[in-house]
Amino acid sequence: MAIISTSHLSKRYANGTAALNGVSLALEAGQFTVILGPSGSGKSTLLRLFNGLETPTEGSVSINGTVLQRRNLRHVRREVGMVFQHFNLVGRLNVMTNVLIGRLAYRSWLGSMLHLFREEDFRIAHEALARVGLAEKAWVRADQLSGGQQQRVGIARALAQRPRVILADEPVASLDPVTSTEVLGLLKQICREDGIAVVANLHQPDYTHQYADRVIGLNSGRVIFDDAPGQLTDNRLQTIYHRDSQPQETRHAELALAHA
Amino acid sequence: MLNLRWPTPDGRPPKALWVTALGVLLLLLVSAPLVEFNLWTLVTKADDTVLFVGRMFHQQPEWEYIPQFALKMLETLEIALLATVLATLISLPLGFLAARNATPYPWVGQIVRDVAAFLRALPELVWALVFVSAIGLGPFPGVLAITVVSVGFMARFFADALEVIPAGPVEGVAAHGAGWLQVRSFAMFPQALPDFIGTLLYVLDHNVRAATVLGIVGAGGIGFDLVNAIRYFEFERLIIIILGIYLAVTLIDRFSSYVRGQVIHGGVQRHGN
Amino acid sequence: MATERLVNLPALPPKPRNLIPLWASLLLGLCWLVVWHLDISFQTLLWGWQDILEYFSRYTSPDFRDAPKYLWLMLETMAMGLWGTVLAFIIAFLLAPYAARNLSPNPWVYNLTRELLNFMRAMPDILLALILVSSMGLGPLPGALALGIHTAGFLGKFFAESLERVEHGRYEALDAVGAGFSQKILYAGWPSILREMTGYTLYILDRNIRTGAVLGLVGAGGIGIALYDTLRMFNYNQAAALLIIMLGTIIVLDRLSGLIRSKLH
Repeated sequence: MAIISTSHLSKRYANGTAALNGVSLALEAGQFTVILGPSGSGKSTLLRLFNGLETPTEGSVSINGTVLQRRNLRHVRREVGMVFQHFNLVGRLNVMTNVLIGRLAYRSWLGSMLHLFREEDFRIAHEALARVGLAEKAWVRADQLSGGQQQRVGIARALAQRPRVILADEPVASLDPVTSTEVLGLLKQICREDGIAVVANLHQPDYTHQYADRVIGLNSGRVIFDDAPGQLTDNRLQTIYHRDSQPQETRHAELALAHA
Repeated sequence: MLNLRWPTPDGRPPKALWVTALGVLLLLLVSAPLVEFNLWTLVTKADDTVLFVGRMFHQQPEWEYIPQFALKMLETLEIALLATVLATLISLPLGFLAARNATPYPWVGQIVRDVAAFLRALPELVWALVFVSAIGLGPFPGVLAITVVSVGFMARFFADALEVIPAGPVEGVAAHGAGWLQVRSFAMFPQALPDFIGTLLYVLDHNVRAATVLGIVGAGGIGFDLVNAIRYFEFERLIIIILGIYLAVTLIDRFSSYVRGQVIHGGVQRHGN
Repeated sequence: MATERLVNLPALPPKPRNLIPLWASLLLGLCWLVVWHLDISFQTLLWGWQDILEYFSRYTSPDFRDAPKYLWLMLETMAMGLWGTVLAFIIAFLLAPYAARNLSPNPWVYNLTRELLNFMRAMPDILLALILVSSMGLGPLPGALALGIHTAGFLGKFFAESLERVEHGRYEALDAVGAGFSQKILYAGWPSILREMTGYTLYILDRNIRTGAVLGLVGAGGIGIALYDTLRMFNYNQAAALLIIMLGTIIVLDRLSGLIRSKLH
């Protein structure tokens, strides 16, 4: 059974722009799915719909058979980890606390108000940190780490949730090529070993061939490619990054294509 | 017992946090007798306070009082405005004298800064008390009192604003052979202007609030009526006064935050060129 | 060549209208009107400069015989300031998240909280002290409460604005792990603005001690009442001693909190 499935998912913003147009997908556990597309194609919106950071205008999302709704949002989000482009760690808190934030949804209101956690949560957080290779940084303030290390803490935070799905929104867009491969490799390893579905937005097609099990190409809010990365020929890639009559943005698409 | 711990290496709360919390708690305990803190009075008197406030809303406001109120409120705003203008005129040169990068002699700057600290140390009402006993009742001592405190604040903040301006344009103007005063008016003043205006608006805001209570010591404005309304339980007037003050202060606050927003986002033209 | 350049000088765009002289003269006229309406004569101030000097010379021989009593009253003022600030902090801590646009659960709550904070700010602390003294009786407790309520409006507003400036992503990350409203505030909100909060609170403590010195005028405890009494009895020597004690304490505290604030950066 699919771990994430959407049916006829559409999203229009208040200003009238349609970000997504009738997207129906089914994503499997243990698969590394990469969503490709030019900026503005709706790939970020799609990812944010998966854990309810955006609400769909039409259609629905279900995670592990549960349809996302306002009232089960927190419950579902527990099982959906998210990794962000800008890491979104709380800089003044130490690394351990940042990872423990991943446990918040499982814990009582009172304890978390006092910043108190159970030993069990510490064990989970410790494991997650060890997994990303940062156990020795546990008591360092998060804003003292390098970008690549911060992103690994971000992944540890997602792991601490014991998720079934990890969504990664441009996880390597602010990192250099060496740390990028590290981070993507880590995500791939987690995907393999834990059978977690990883869905990542990327705009560098070259990483896609290396890590993806499945590629979804989006353009103007529609799925125009959905296949194994081996099928992603230069020609198909061009259709993904194709833009009609937007001269000021063609340069951007050319830049993106230059990577391919 | 649940196995709970804080996210620190030893599982105890962070030291900075509990030391501060404990320190504050201790200070509170020690000073409790000084403020005559008593939970019992607080609980029993809470009723009386609610009753007191409630009575304000039970009475029909005294509509005939409104013209007199409006006049007094106008006086209040006038005191605040005049004092702010006077204080700005006095503080501008003082600010230049006090700023490290604009002062002719550093020791003058230090003296101006110390005088400013002295002027703003005491609240307006203390100055008002002194001035009332010097020149008698009326709005004039009120204007003087607010001016004195505002000069204390503005001279300091103007100087601070001048000290953080970039040196490049200043050197540029000076390099073209501009004189002492020209450098200050053409290179320094325009750069610091947005900050000056920001400070000015904060001070105006504060002065309107301060002017509403000056009347308590006989220094003009609505404060005199306010104190009488409370002393003699004239609730039908008190409600008008309170709502009037609320309205006036809120309007000035909105106005100044609007202008501040305009200044910060470059809406105001920088003149002087 | 040079003349040719001059001939072909491109026309300047139309000069933008400079409204500053207009505003300045309007303001000047307004001030003149105000001076006239308030019946202020600066001449008397100028002509009477000798009287003024004479008046202030009355403060030149401070009488410190009652100094212990004054110091005790100043201590009481400081205690009022402290209690007021702690009260303000607690109120602000509880209300600020609802008054931050990006955190508030819904626009109604947001507007209501903001207006409540605005109201607390708009009510002068002396006015609140007057009301509380009439309902609770004389003493420093109503003074501390008045300071607390008034400055809670300020602290609440400052805290809320700081919470609004925190990067959106941090809150979003907390949303994404399924954290609730208060967890979001406690793990992403307050830790991110800790330093600003401390600065604002110290500033308010300073201000409350300064203002606490006048609450005695309306019977709300502290050193103010002694000053009022001595001036009413024309005891300038004692008034001078009181003023010096107030001034000294306030300046020392101001330096101290300035020091702590600069340490924080």
